[in-house]
This record gives sequence, structure tokens and C-alpha cells, in this order.
Amino acid sequence: MTPGLFVRKNRPRWQRLETMLGTMESRGLRKTERSFLQELIALYRATAGDLAFAQTHYRGTTLLLFLHQLVARAHNQIYRPHRLSLSAALGYFRSQIPQAIRAHLQAVIWSAIVFLLGTALGLSAVQFDERAATVILPASVLNSVYSGHMWTGNIFSIVPAPVASTFIFTSNISIALLAFAGGLSFGLVTVWILFQNGFMLGVIFKLCADYGLLGALFEFVAGHGLLEISAIVISGGAGFVVANALLNPGPYLRRDALAQQGRSAVLMAVGCVPALVTAGCIEAFISPSHAPVGIKVALGLTLGLVFWLYLLATGRRE
Amino acid sequence: MSPSPSAPAWETRMELPEEVDLQLEVANVGSRSLAILADLTLCGLIFFVVYGLTFLITRDAAADWLLRLGSNAMEIGMALVIFGFQWVYFGLFEWIWNGQTPGKRMLHLRVIKVDGAPVSWTDVLLRNVSRPIDTFGPMGLLGLLMIFVSCKGQRLGDMMAQTLVIHETPIDWSIFDQFEPAESGPISGKAPVALPAIRLSAAQWELLHQYLNRREQLPAEVRARLAASLYEKLKPLARGTALELSPLVPEAWLAELARRT
Repeated sequence: MTPGLFVRKNRPRWQRLETMLGTMESRGLRKTERSFLQELIALYRATAGDLAFAQTHYRGTTLLLFLHQLVARAHNQIYRPHRLSLSAALGYFRSQIPQAIRAHLQAVIWSAIVFLLGTALGLSAVQFDERAATVILPASVLNSVYSGHMWTGNIFSIVPAPVASTFIFTSNISIALLAFAGGLSFGLVTVWILFQNGFMLGVIFKLCADYGLLGALFEFVAGHGLLEISAIVISGGAGFVVANALLNPGPYLRRDALAQQGRSAVLMAVGCVPALVTAGCIEAFISPSHAPVGIKVALGLTLGLVFWLYLLATGRRE
Repeated sequence: MSPSPSAPAWETRMELPEEVDLQLEVANVGSRSLAILADLTLCGLIFFVVYGLTFLITRDAAADWLLRLGSNAMEIGMALVIFGFQWVYFGLFEWIWNGQTPGKRMLHLRVIKVDGAPVSWTDVLLRNVSRPIDTFGPMGLLGLLMIFVSCKGQRLGDMMAQTLVIHETPIDWSIFDQFEPAESGPISGKAPVALPAIRLSAAQWELLHQYLNRREQLPAEVRARLAASLYEKLKPLARGTALELSPLVPEAWLAELARRT
């Protein structure tokens, strides 16, 4: 068949397929009728046949290029993954996310160890030389501690709680996601983030203890600390899962191990997001408030416990 | 699936269930960088609009409570906008626009799975959460290097998500239709070619069409010269048909030839 004849004969079918794809792309699968889909699939098969013919007879032509793209577009619409529905999203939180975290509990424990090492080093650094605190804490925080006041009182009286909560949870989610993505740097970035955050915690605690603010600090941290640190440690664990796939791919190719482990690791990081938003809101609305210490402690303990119970017990039946 | 030796390195092949090999053009470093640049420009514009609006609101605010509300809204807005560009923008667009961000759409790029399927939300999340390690800031060098070196143009995030970025040439069927004989449109049910067909190879046919499509844009002298040279090349193919002895000038002769192929 001459190329001209081939185009003239089949072009109506290609253009019909093209317009149908356009409709489908803008309308979505759910609103398309059965007959529409049947026609689409018939056209797709016929066009795939045309592509095979063109591949044999019309190599290196623009026509072939167009057919490749048309078939790719149709294939893309026909062999599509399930759209994420609300029930599917809830399903992830009900089973896949806790399952992923349980499967990688070892990585989470390593992450906690790195974090605690940072804390220990922070404590002993300030013990050894108080100036170590200047490395990691801003001057405003330092000055307020030196004068015997909590810095939180200053900050939260100026910045309203809705603004503060937004700042806190966006920066914490950034830290968590970066700790996960840091796995791609063979875990170096992950280790750095965990260590840095642990170190800061250690420094603040020791510094406050030295200036008689330990009680005030504890009161501030009690409501959100457990949840926040748990979430950071878990996302660090997700980063270690990725790093482990790169460093120790086992029987797989490195890239295959990365693809396989990355898929479950990202669920761990996703699971931390709601926890961090919650912790950010508590940190801005409740922690600096004058609510009784008992309530803050009870809230913090309950949330931490519920979070870990959820992670360790949900979605076990499969 | 054995790649033929003639397949260029920038193409990717995938085998469909319909037993055809699909060849798609992998996007190159340049167009991907441009797409990122376009996206960043858009983000910057949005940032300044949000910033400017809240600034204007708070500047002209007479009442004190409005001022406070405005500055609070501005701070929340800024925090969310910055967070959004870093972690949400790329993923959200690639998810709802089937593998395209505004920048990618502008440059005709699309993210697909290595097996040709559309991307799912986990794929999009995986390839975009990794951007601080291989796209943003100085780390972008790593991403550029990886796109350059890896055989399917994948940066680390693409490898983790098993995705690749392809370049789509916009399909334009009209380049085939300008020389249809006036009396029978492409869709009419008549026998497509009443005249005896002349066999051109696919390459000759394409050459002929390229010339006929482009001739309007050529300077008159070049146009005539090309027509003459094509006429010389293609004339032997018309041997034994009515066209062989046709008195038409080269260009009209070529248009007539296109009708009979």
C-alpha cells in the first residue's frame, strides 16, 4: 500500500480516536459510557495494528512518529491505574501505612538511635562548654534563657497561634520529607537531620536545666513532643529504608531494590504527615497556653500512645 | 524485544499487549531544564501576586483589626506558598494533569511509567519528594548529570518511582491533507484513488509532502530550484503513466504526483 493511500484510508479512524481520547482525558473514566469505551478500545486495537504495519513499511517517517504517539496516548488511557478515591486513601491509612512501618521497625529503631545519640551529644556538649549552645540556637532564644525566661513566651505573644501552627507544621513536614528523601544520598542527609534535631533537643534541655527552666520547658514540650519526635524518627526510618536499598540491594539490582523499597518507605513518610499537623497545632495553640500542666501531659501521653498503638496494631488481619 | 541497532539512544521502547513495540522519544536535559525553569517562574509570579495583594490590603487598611488580619493572612499565605512550591506543586500537577506540570505542558513533556502506563499518586510522590536531593539548588547538578548519563534520562527520583519523562510531538494530521484532490475529500466513501497509483517509497513520499507543505514559506527562487531538483528525482517513477508526458511545470507536476500516491 502506498503511504498516501494508507493515510487516506485510515485517517478518519485515527482522528476519531484522537477526539475520543481528548474527551476522555477531560471527562475522566467515571463519566464515560460503555459504548464509548467499546468503540475506543476497538479503535485503539485497529490503530495499534496500523502502527505495526507502518513500522514495517514506513520507517523513519513523520507518519510513524504520529502513530506511535497516538497509540501511546490511547494505551495511557486504557491501561491506567486505579484513581485514588477517598475510600482507597482511607484504606492506606487503615492498613498499608501501619504495615509498612511495622515491616521496617528495625530502620525506625536505628533512626531513634541516631536521634538519641544526637541528644546525648547535645547534653554533654553543653555540660562540657556552655558556648556549644551558640552553634545551634539563635541569639534571641539564648538571651531569653540567660535572663531566666522561656523564649516561647515572647514568640507566642507576638505571633498569633494560627500563624505559628502553620509555620511549625510546614517546617516539620519539610524536615520529615527531607529525612525520607535523604535516603537517596545513601542516608547521609537523613543521619544529619536526625542528629541535628536530636542535638538541638539535648542542648535546649541541658541549657534550661542550668538556668532553672527545666520545669517550664517540660511543660511546654509535654503536649506535642512525643508525637512530633515519633513522626520525625519514623520518617528518618523511611530514609534509612531507602538508603539500605541502595547500600545493600541483596539479590536485586540497585535500581530495582530502590524502586521496591521506596514504594513502602514513602508510605511511612506519608503516615507522619497527619501526626505532624496535629503536633504543630498543639504546639501553637495549647503548649504556650496557661492550661494546667496535668492536661498537657495527659494530652501528650495519650496522643503518643494512640499514635504508636495505631502504628503497631492496625491492619494486622491480612 | 531486541532493540534494533538503528534505534537512537534517546528513544525508549516498550512492548504493548497488542504486540507492537512502542517507541517514544525520551525528553532531553535541555527541555527538562527549561520546563523546570518555566515552573519556577510561574511559582515566583504567584509568590509576588500573593505578596503584593496582602501588602496592598494591609497598607490601605484603616481599621486596626483588618491590618492584623491582613498581616496574619499574609504570613500564613507565604508559609503555605513556599511549602507548596517545595513539596506540593510538582506532585499535585503531575497527579491531576496525568504527568504534566504547566512547564512540562508548555514544552510538550509528560511523565509516564517505564512500561508506558500513566503515573499513580505514589509514583508522583516518590519522584517529586526526592527533588531536594536531585533537582533544587546546587543538587540540580546531580540531577542534570543523571539525566544526561542514565539510558532513559532518569534522575534518582525517576529511578525510585520507575518513571521517565517523554517528549510528545504535537500530532498534526493536516500536513497530509493539503493536496487531496478537490473532488474527493479524505472521508468520502468513494474509491480513494481513481487515478492509477504511482509507487513512491515512504521516504520519497515524505520528502514530496515536506516540500509541498513548506513551499509557501520559501523564497520564489529556492522554491523553483527545489521543485526542479525533486522533479528530476521523481520523474522516472511516473514512467508509463499519464503523468510521464504531462506538460505541467515541475511544481504543479509534483502536486499532481502527490495526488496519485
